[in-house]
This record gives sequence, C-alpha cells and structure tokens, in this order.
Amino acid sequence: MMLCDRIREQIPEVLAGRLDSAARERLIDHLDTCSACRAEVADLGVVWRALDAMPEPEPSPQMRARFLETLRAYEEGFQEAQRKQTYSAPRPGWLASLLPARPAWGVAFAAATLLVGVFGGRYLLAPKGAESGGTPEVAQLRTQVESLRQLVALSLLQEQSASARLRGVNYSFQMSQPDREVQQALLHAVNHDTNVNVRLSAVDALAKFAQSPEVRRALVDSLPVQDSPLVQIALIDLLTQLEAREAVPAMRKLAGQADANESVRARAAAAAEKLGGSQ
Amino acid sequence: MDDEQIMREVRAGDVGKLEALFDRHHRALFRYFVRLTSDPSWSEDLVQDVFFRILKYRHTYEPAMSFRAWMYQVGRNVWLDQAGKRKGEVALPDNAGELGSSDTPADRQVQARQETLMLRRALAALPAEKREVLVMSRYQELKYEEIASALKCEVGTVKVRVYRALRELGDRFFALGGERA
Repeated sequence: MMLCDRIREQIPEVLAGRLDSAARERLIDHLDTCSACRAEVADLGVVWRALDAMPEPEPSPQMRARFLETLRAYEEGFQEAQRKQTYSAPRPGWLASLLPARPAWGVAFAAATLLVGVFGGRYLLAPKGAESGGTPEVAQLRTQVESLRQLVALSLLQEQSASARLRGVNYSFQMSQPDREVQQALLHAVNHDTNVNVRLSAVDALAKFAQSPEVRRALVDSLPVQDSPLVQIALIDLLTQLEAREAVPAMRKLAGQADANESVRARAAAAAEKLGGSQ
Repeated sequence: MDDEQIMREVRAGDVGKLEALFDRHHRALFRYFVRLTSDPSWSEDLVQDVFFRILKYRHTYEPAMSFRAWMYQVGRNVWLDQAGKRKGEVALPDNAGELGSSDTPADRQVQARQETLMLRRALAALPAEKREVLVMSRYQELKYEEIASALKCEVGTVKVRVYRALRELGDRFFALGGERA
C-alpha cells in the first residue's frame, strides 16, 4: 500500500512528462503488477488531457496601458526622489537647478529656504553642550522639518501632473504628525483626483488619520461617490481594518447596487457582514 | 536577459525595467487568476495589484530566487488577501447552467464543450488550496521546486498536494458526467 501511495503521487508528473527515466521505469514496473494503480493512471489521464481543452482567456488591451500608467507615475516619482537626495548634498550649481518652475513649488521652496536658514542657523549657533538629542533647539528643528514636509506635500498635492500629486501623497507618509491641512488635501484627493493611482495612494495615506472621527466619516461618505472599483475596494478594506461599523449601511447599499462592479459588491457584502456581525 | 537579472536591476532602482517582466508574464498570471476565480475582470485587477506590489516591495526580492516563483508568491498573497474576504467563493462559469442535461449529445463538438464546462465547474468547486496548486502545476508550468518556493513548503508536500488535487478534480468531474472513463 505504501508503495502504491508513492507511485500515485508521481502520476501528475508522469502525465506532464516530467518524471525522470529511472522513476518512470519503476512506475511502469509497478503498473504491470497492480491493477488498482493502472486504473488510477487511466482515470487521472482522462482528467489531465481534458484540462488541455480549457480555453485560454486573453486579458483586455487596457490592462497593459493601465499598468504602464502606474509604472510611469511611479518611475517619475522615484527619479524625483532620487534627485532630491542628490540635492541634499550641495555642490556648485545645485541652487540654480533647484529654482522652481511652478508657483506651488515656489511657495514650498521659499518656505523651505527660510526654515532651513532660520532654524538651521539657530541649531548651528547653539552652544556645544546643547547638541544632545533632547534639547529644545533640536526638538524645535525637528518640528520645523516636519512643517516643511507638510508644506512640500501640500504643494505637490496641488500640482497639475498626476505623478507630482502621487509624490505629494507619498510625502505625507513620512510625516509623524500630519496636520489638518494635509489631511484635508488627502481627503480631497480621495474624492476628486482624476488619477486612480493618486486616489488609491491617498486612501493608504489616510490610514494614519484613522483616529480622527472626521476622517472616518469622510471615508465612509466617499464610498458611494467613487467610480473606480480599485478605490472602492481599497476604501472597503481600510474601513474594515478600522472596524468602522458606521460604514455598514453604505457597504450594504453598495453590495446591493446592481450597476456596481461585481468584485466590489462581493467585497462590500463580506465587509458589511464582518463589521455588522461583530456588533 | 533572464528574468532574475532584470528583477535584480529593478530592485537596484531601474524600476522602468519592470515593463519587460510585465510583458513576459502578465498573460500567464492573468490566466492563473482566471482559473482560480473564474472572473476575468477581477483577475485583471489582481494582476495590476501583483505588479504594483512587486514594484513597491522590490527590495524584498531575494536575488537568488526564481522570479516566477516570487511573482506567484506575491500573486498568492494578493489573491488570499482578497479571496479570504470573499470567503474563497469562486464564480461558476457563466454557462454552467447548461450542464443539467444527461442526454448524450450526438455532436462531438457539443460533447467536447460540455466536457470542458463540466471540468470548469469541477475546478471551480475544488477547495481553493487544491485549485491553486493544480493550476500552478498544470497550466503555469511551474516546477515543483518553484511551487514549493511560492507556497513556502517542501517539494514532497507539493507532490502530494498536486496528486490529491487532481484526484479530487477527477472525482468531481466524473460525478458531474455520471460516468467513469
């Protein structure tokens, strides 16, 4: 019986032509003497061959275009981030290349220069003994760097190009304490951005603000207005993760909406059941 | 250039090269998901999600690993994340209702179509983990070593699972047809 078990485990391999010759010989020898295993090979051979006739579905041509759009946006954002890293090590001519071409960047750039000048100077001029991590100056500098990040994120979120807005969203991930304005800009992006990837990333970024009832409410309100199934699914997942029971009516409504995407409906129904069931 | 070399370059920051890997593998990955879910539209979203995760988590790719095995590992996680929330439910093929008749069709083509439908139905009814391993082995042409790597288990375990999955598929298929070969 033990031998039969071992032989039968090799049937898929022999049907696929992947069994090495020595193992195949052993299998054939066994089949000569065991009618039960012969029947098993015959049965499974029928199924294996029938699987050949299964249709080979083709993806829609839009699938590649969608992926390339995401990839290009990501690539631009990534290259921009790399350029910024390079700027942080100043060299001759770096200032000229940094001069902003767009007004939104201009605001951020001016503020950045001012903040780095004022607080960087204060930090450098501080007495030697005050350099340890916990001094008020260092804490203040950190706060200002944080404000600077928020400013940059905000200005990026208002840019024309989707990849810049995507960078703005990614920037907000780096903040330890994103402020109300960034929060509002991200919520605006979730509901109104024309680019699906920006909306998706904004949903991810907003997970940080989960403790704010205002954000939770806004995320629930956003559910019925989204037209992209991807964003709807991301919202449903986030609300489920947040255990946002207040989202159950909106999820149930979505689940029953005949014109909604099938996957979204199934996801909304499962989420509503999960959240509703834990009440 | 082989997949692994391209992925090493993507990992090192040449993210645009992922386009080449997408071109090579998106069709196979799409078919893998269609066979798991019977839902082409959802499968397209799953493929997008897999490649986005590959991009986002490219630093977690271990250069020595087969790219395909890693891609299916990511694909599996994406699918499990989503399917778990749908309670492993798989849509039956649209025309599964046509399977009611037990009359022997005169036309061979009709018979072949019916057989395919029965098989699709049997596959859809298979428990998710069995469907997964069987599709990987039968259609994706992954070696047992690659499947083991994607499923994070031993090669011996893969061998047993593929056999059991095929056996169960056979039982369901023959039960639907009401006869054995």
